[in-house]
Amino acid sequence: MTDLLPSLETVLQTLATGLLVGCTYGLMCVALGLIFGIMRLINFAQGDFLMLGMYFGLAVLSGAGLGATIGPLPALIFAGLAAIPVFFVLGWVIHALLLARIAQRRGATEGEAHQTQLIMTLGISLVLSNGALMAFGSTPVSLNVPFASQAFILDPLGAGDVLVFLNEARVLAAVAALAAAGGLYALLHRTDLGRQLRASADNPLAATYMGIDVVWSYRVTFGLGFGLTALAGVMVATYYPFQPYVGLDFVIVMYAGVVLGGLGSVMGSFWGGVIIGLVQQLSTLVLPLQLQGTTVFVVFLLILLIRPQGLFGRSVERA
Amino acid sequence: MLSLEGVSVRYGGLSALTDVSLSVGEGEFVTVIGPNGAGKTTLMKAISGVVPLSAGRIRLGGQDLAAVPAQRRPHLGLAHVPENRQVFSGLSVLENLELGTTPLADRAQSAGNIEHVLDLFPILRERTAQLAGTLSGGQQQMLAIGRALASTPKVLLLDEPSMGLAPSIVDMIFERIARIHRETGVTVVLVEQRAIEALELCTRAYVLTTGRVVASGSGRDLMRSEEVSRAYLGA
Repeated sequence: MTDLLPSLETVLQTLATGLLVGCTYGLMCVALGLIFGIMRLINFAQGDFLMLGMYFGLAVLSGAGLGATIGPLPALIFAGLAAIPVFFVLGWVIHALLLARIAQRRGATEGEAHQTQLIMTLGISLVLSNGALMAFGSTPVSLNVPFASQAFILDPLGAGDVLVFLNEARVLAAVAALAAAGGLYALLHRTDLGRQLRASADNPLAATYMGIDVVWSYRVTFGLGFGLTALAGVMVATYYPFQPYVGLDFVIVMYAGVVLGGLGSVMGSFWGGVIIGLVQQLSTLVLPLQLQGTTVFVVFLLILLIRPQGLFGRSVERA
Repeated sequence: MLSLEGVSVRYGGLSALTDVSLSVGEGEFVTVIGPNGAGKTTLMKAISGVVPLSAGRIRLGGQDLAAVPAQRRPHLGLAHVPENRQVFSGLSVLENLELGTTPLADRAQSAGNIEHVLDLFPILRERTAQLAGTLSGGQQQMLAIGRALASTPKVLLLDEPSMGLAPSIVDMIFERIARIHRETGVTVVLVEQRAIEALELCTRAYVLTTGRVVASGSGRDLMRSEEVSRAYLGA
């Protein structure tokens, strides 16, 4: 009988892994939720942004050889920190050259602008994934950092008979995700820029009357969303082998997490991602591994049935 | 201070404003009255730059605004209190006021302006941390006015501040507007459907009907005029 129940060690181990993975999902969800929450734009290219972040990590660690010269950990930290400004600029340029132009078409209503932007992100997604296929090939690669195969060992009961292993690469990714999400929260709620971004989301017309350039706000948002997703990509690349279509493995998780947290609630998206991570891992305790993805959808559907506005969303729509 | 010459605005094939000319001197209180659908809100939006002109020009303090996009006009001293208040409902009262100071570079001045607004509308001081969307209609109107004042504007555009408010609140709002004009000397352009109250407040007024200026003069004269009766009573 006791053999059928998972042991305490297994439960704790799964919980820990779920939390670690969940934090990384949380950062991805925050980036997607930021773009949706401020711009009201569903970004189909989110998975490809993540993929670019992964290849950026590879380029810095292996391509530029930083992993060998300054050591894998400093190189990884450098890659993560550099990813944010590099991809911020790329997002900025994509918005200025493509998304803003298509939205500002003469005579387009707000709804039409959103639809054309949505289709545009789908196009960007195709160009990025196929461009990556041409540039990097379809063979899966990985970062090969030593800490991906090392673990911190916790002894929660102190007796030495229940041990929890925390993969170092996942711990690093979770720490980076928490720091980035916390930083974004501070930016949104403690700075003039953040207040202007939230005002642009809350009421774009009134924001214009305050002297805020709403299109500029959207551009900053898109850049930030891209930068944070790329950071998540760099961190995930340490323990997840990738190829140009790797984004597909994560987009479902991202959308589920954002909807779970409540569309438009940027920080709710983080908790949405954490919950997805936990559900995914905990389901392996009672279900076969192949059903991991299914449980995410089941929980997702349940939440939509019971609380359609999401866990942290407000049911009041903006005017 | 503010002048419009032959301003026309079209929405698709529809003409919302036709050849509107008006001028507002520094420190003046000018009212534009007119029935529903006369183009009053369009007039305000044209001045703010959120709807494009199909003809004519708008000058602020002698500067042609044609090349100034809407989001730069507040920096020139134009503040717009929009129809239906349009407060940032998901942000706190204080954040709304802080957003009003966006055109100002000087933080000390911003803080001073916000203090001044909170003195003018003490009820807002009690609610600085509350989300603006949870305020009553009258309080939201005070917030919208306060938010506009926080930028120390040269010209204050008020679009139907009485809309949807109880009569006692309307009286209070109008009294505050008069006081703001008297104490700060800001140039005021008030657009109103409530003609009598609005005409009593102003130094000069224009009557707008189906997108055209059909009469202008002092508030007192217009109150007695035939055009005004016709516009409002259909006589």
